[in-house]
This record gives sequence, structure tokens and C-alpha cells, in this order.
Amino acid sequence: MKQPKKRRFQLNERQLGYAMVAPSIILIAVIIIWPILLSAWNSLFDYRLNDPSKAERITSLSINLETYADNRYLVYDTMEAVRDTMPGAESTLDNITSALDEQHETLLKTDEGLADRYEEVNTMLENYQPVNDDDLRLTEIPEAWTDGFTAALDEQTAAVQALREDAPEGAVQPLTDLESQLSNTKNAVLEPNFVGVKNYTEYLGNGRTWTAMLNTLLFTVVTVGVELAIGMLVALLINRVFIGRGLVRAAVLVPWAIPTAVAAMMWTFLFDGQSGIMAYYMAQLGIIDDPGVLLSTGAGGMFSVMFADIWKTTPYMALLLLAGLQTIPRSLYEAAAVDGANKFQQFFSITLPMIRSAILVAVLFRALDAFRVFDLIYVLTGGGPANSTESISVYAYKLLFEQQNFGAGSALSVIVFLSVALLSTIFIKLIGSDLFSGRLKQ
Amino acid sequence: MTKRAGIGFYILLIIFVFLVMFPFIWVFLTSIKPQGEIFSSFQWFSSNMTFENYASALETRPLLLYMLNSFVVATLTTIISIIVASFTAYAVTRLPIKFKGLILGLVLAASMFPQIAVLSPIFNFVTDAGLRNSYLGLVIPYITISLPLAIWILSTFFIKIPLSLEESAKLDGATPFQTFRKIIFPLAAPGVFTTAILVFIAAWNEYLFALTINTEDSWRTIPVGISFYQSQFSVPWGDITAATVIVTIPIVVLVLLFQRRIVAGLTSGSVKE
Repeated sequence: MKQPKKRRFQLNERQLGYAMVAPSIILIAVIIIWPILLSAWNSLFDYRLNDPSKAERITSLSINLETYADNRYLVYDTMEAVRDTMPGAESTLDNITSALDEQHETLLKTDEGLADRYEEVNTMLENYQPVNDDDLRLTEIPEAWTDGFTAALDEQTAAVQALREDAPEGAVQPLTDLESQLSNTKNAVLEPNFVGVKNYTEYLGNGRTWTAMLNTLLFTVVTVGVELAIGMLVALLINRVFIGRGLVRAAVLVPWAIPTAVAAMMWTFLFDGQSGIMAYYMAQLGIIDDPGVLLSTGAGGMFSVMFADIWKTTPYMALLLLAGLQTIPRSLYEAAAVDGANKFQQFFSITLPMIRSAILVAVLFRALDAFRVFDLIYVLTGGGPANSTESISVYAYKLLFEQQNFGAGSALSVIVFLSVALLSTIFIKLIGSDLFSGRLKQ
Repeated sequence: MTKRAGIGFYILLIIFVFLVMFPFIWVFLTSIKPQGEIFSSFQWFSSNMTFENYASALETRPLLLYMLNSFVVATLTTIISIIVASFTAYAVTRLPIKFKGLILGLVLAASMFPQIAVLSPIFNFVTDAGLRNSYLGLVIPYITISLPLAIWILSTFFIKIPLSLEESAKLDGATPFQTFRKIIFPLAAPGVFTTAILVFIAAWNEYLFALTINTEDSWRTIPVGISFYQSQFSVPWGDITAATVIVTIPIVVLVLLFQRRIVAGLTSGSVKE
């Protein structure tokens, strides 16, 4: 008999199962769940990227060693320039040096190891490296030191200002620099910007948030409703054998497959008041008074984004429903016809109940997609005119990246998240275990 | 299913297909008109056909570079998420592990959350990691979209393979991982391919992350690049329509080649079989 080959370490089926699931679970936790929690945490701060004193989440009075070290270096450098251009400034400069050094000494004594961290930050700055590690650059400081530090800087800024009044021409520029650098040094002190639920109360009391919310709801209800209705008609129409099936299927898949941003650009052109054919035809037919109204009025804008979405997604809806229709056995219709049921009765008592779960699944995914609509509106109307087509995601994006207000933008994105969670819970209750059928053995 | 298709049916069908295709037809007809005619007339056909808009579209913005960027990002995203997702889908559908319902529930929840809810933390993370304006900077956030999608679709394909295959593989002495790699995965290959197409299209079309993270023109993807053809002062419709035609061609080819698979992937799991 042959010797059995020496076997390497083997996982049994269950261990292998957990090992195979682990990478996905870890990825989902790290790049979805953790960021959502961070968004929720960010939303509790007055956190603005464009304001250096609020560009971090600060829970207690802190100093940014990077800003501090950077400005300290600049101040000393500029003082040399002043010394060269204005010999009379000697005594003021000595005062600044001693005041800053005194504050520096006290600062380094407030916390053990702070001196080492300061050195490390300084070295990184000398090598032109950015300091991204928050544990390194941010440190809590006592209020007493901050008060003394701010007072000393204010006093020296005033002294430099006085000096500038009778400075020789060559010294004016370095003195101006010195003054602003001294005052910038104060920016190293970071006041706590934890504001609790203030972002929520402020933005939930804000009309623009509610307009955006209502726009999103209106957009979702109308587009999904119309897509379902037209999609159903089309699915019933093409649920038969005909020549050119493949070609029709490909034709309806193309709008679904092209990027939404590209579709939005196409519709911007078609709806354009001057060269848009849609606007032109609609005005010719008397549906609108003037070709310009589509993109320049609130109602026209809303119509345009909804129309573009319906155009892009109805074919997809029709395909999902068609797949549902094709699972209904023909014998059911034959039996109903024998019993004398007409087409409408057949539709309501056989077709609809039989594809109920297919409809619900299609509507669930479409509704969630519509509720988070961003690119279509952002490219087609930009949320305009006058925010009348702005969806909640577009508003959140503008707060986040156009106003750089990460606190308020995060609060809005948390609101979007909670709405979506609520919406999907309702649907999943309706659909029930059907959602998992075909994925798990019962 | 055997309803006969009459002439009235074909007329309705042609109207429907025409309405769906109308924007493409009009955009194409516009793209071959000379600049002057675009703004002044609503004539369908121009007597002076020209390709100058195409030349101009490729000249004013690096359209082919955008396509390359989209292609690289979408391909990387597809490969990574298909590998990771096929492991998970296999384990959830065919291996004796606990919490299957919970894991699928988590995947479903992950496929439903709005991208805006993770945008700012991911932006901060990608910035701190120095990955702004790089392929990896987009692939990481794209996994948030593609991984749940891939697991969700793949599991419908994996569960259709008869369980008896595993049992006979086990009897022949195959280890559980060998069974996956040599028997189940190859059998599920058509489903894997279908899933890959859908994931690729989803990644190719993504806009929000691409707009925020890759802000340098040379790193932009197609959807973002196209939306930047508009300038503040003029809207070059000739360029835009030509660019739209250029970027739509690959999608049309993809759809024509794989329409059956795409439909199978889209409808998998939405109907009971």
C-alpha cells in the first residue's frame, strides 16, 4: 500500500468558512461602519476645514505643536531681518525673545515628554515633512498657561506695531511680517469645538434643510412611482415572443449602463433653453410657455431631473419586472380564462400577487437609490435654480466640500443615513424573508 | 409567453425603443454638425457633416486619459472585490458556519447606506494617507460600493450549484479549500463573470468619490471629466456631445456583448426560481 502523503495543516470546513468570511467583514467594518461612526462623531463638533482654529476635533483646550513650532521659527527668523534693517529695535526684540522664551519654558514643563515631542515636530518641520499624527501634534494645555501666552503675544504685537510707526523704510516689511506672525502664533491654541447636538438643532431648524428633504422625498416618490407604472406596462408589453428581443434588451440596457453624470450632461443639453431640442419641442407643443423655463425655474428644474431619472431607470425597472412575470406559470392564466376572468381581473388576482416580492425588491433598491440621488442633480442643475432642486445629499456635499463645514455636513449626512435606515427597515419588514430566499437554504 | 406579436405590437415597440434611444440619436446627430448649426437650428440632419467636434473634444480635455483612469480604477476594484466577495459568498452559502443570516443582513445594509455618510471620514483618511489623486485613493472607497454588491449577487449563483458535488469531492479526499478552488469556483465561473461586469459598470460610473478625491485633472475619471467640459462662460455643446458619443461607445459594446449576462445578474435574487 502506498504511504499516505504527509498532509499539511488543514482547516476544517467551519474554520475555513470563518476564515473566508473574515476579509469581507473586516473591510466592511473598516471602510463602512467605522467611517459612519466617525461621521456621527464629527457632526458633534464645530469642525471647519477652512478655519485653522476649527480644523480639528478638539474636546479640551489644546495646542497644535505644528502651528506653534512653525510660527515660533518664523518669528525668530523675522526678528533677525528686523535687527539687520533697524538697529533701534534692539530692546523691543530682546523683550519679545525673553517673553516668548519664558512662555516656551513654561509650556514645555506643563506635561512630561512635551519637550521631546516638540523636538520631534520641529525636526519634521525642518525636513519639510507634514505632521499628520494627531497624537504627536496636539496636546492638552492648562488654561492658566494659555491666558499668559495670549496676553504676552498681544503685548508684544502691540510693541511691534508701535515700533513700526517710526521705522525706516526697509524695516516696515519685516515688522509687518513679525506682527502678523506673532498674532498667528496665537492660532496654535485650539479652543474646544465640541458643540453637542447644536449642528442638528441648527440645521433642522433651517428652511433649506427641509426644502432639500422635501425635494428628495418628492423626487423619490414621483420617480419610483412613475418608473414602476411605466416599467410594468413595458414589461407586460414585451412579455411575449417577438423578433428582435435581444436588440430591444440591449437598447434598454444602454441608458441604465451609462454613467449618471454622462446622462445628466446629455439632458442638460436637451433641456437647454437656447439649443435644447426637448425644450424646443415642449414649447412648440405648448406644454411650456418658453424653452427657457425648464432649467431656469424651480418647477421646470424639478421636472427636468425627474424626467432624466425616469428615462434612465425605467428600462431597468421593466427588466426586473419582466423577470418576475416570466416565472408565472401560464396554466394559472388559462385556468382563470376558463373561469371567465377578464384581462384586468387576471392582472390584479394573478400577476400582481405572484410578482409582489419582485416588485417590492425592485422598489426597495430603486427608492434607496433615488433617496441618495447626487450626481444627476449635481450635474444637471447643480441644485438650482435657487436651491429648488437640491437634494439632501447635494446639500450635505455643498456644506462639506464647498463651505468646508465638516461638522454641519456630517450632521446632514447622518440624517440621510438615518432616513435610509428607516426606509429600508420598513421595506424589509414588508418583504420579509423573501429577500434572503435564493441566498440561504431554508 | 406564446402570445403572438402583431403589427400593433411592433409599432408600440418601435415607438418605445425610439423614445429610449432618442437622446443618444440627437446627441450623435449634434456631434457631427458644424459649430454654427448647433446653436441656431433644430434641423435633424446637417448638410455639412464634420468631425471637428471630435477633434476639439479630444484636444480641450484629456478624454482618453479619463477613460484610462476609469478603466484602471474599475478593473482594480472589480478584481479585489470579486476575490474577497467570492470567498464570503461561498462560505455563507455552502459552509457550515453560524450567523449566516446576520452576515447577509450586514452585507445588505452595507449595500444600502448612502455614500455621503462615509464621504468626509474617507476623504480625511485618503488625504492623511497621501492617496489623493491616485488610483488606490479611489479603489479603497469603491470597495464600499462594490463588495456588498458582489457578495449579494455571487451568493445567488453559488447556491444554485448542487451540494452533492462537494460531498463527492470530500469523499475523494479534497480539502475544503481545494473543493472551493477546483470544483465550485470554476462551476460558478459564468456567475462570477456576470457579477464582475456589474461591479465594473458600477465602479466605472461612480461620481461622488471621484469628484471629491481625485481633483487633479490628470487623475479624473470619465464621469467627473465629462461634467467639467462646461466652463463658466460658455457651454461647448459640440465638444460635449462628441465626448458623450466617445464615452458611450465602450458601454454600448459591453452591453451588446453581454446583455444576457447583465440581465441575469440584475434579476438574480429579485425573483424566486
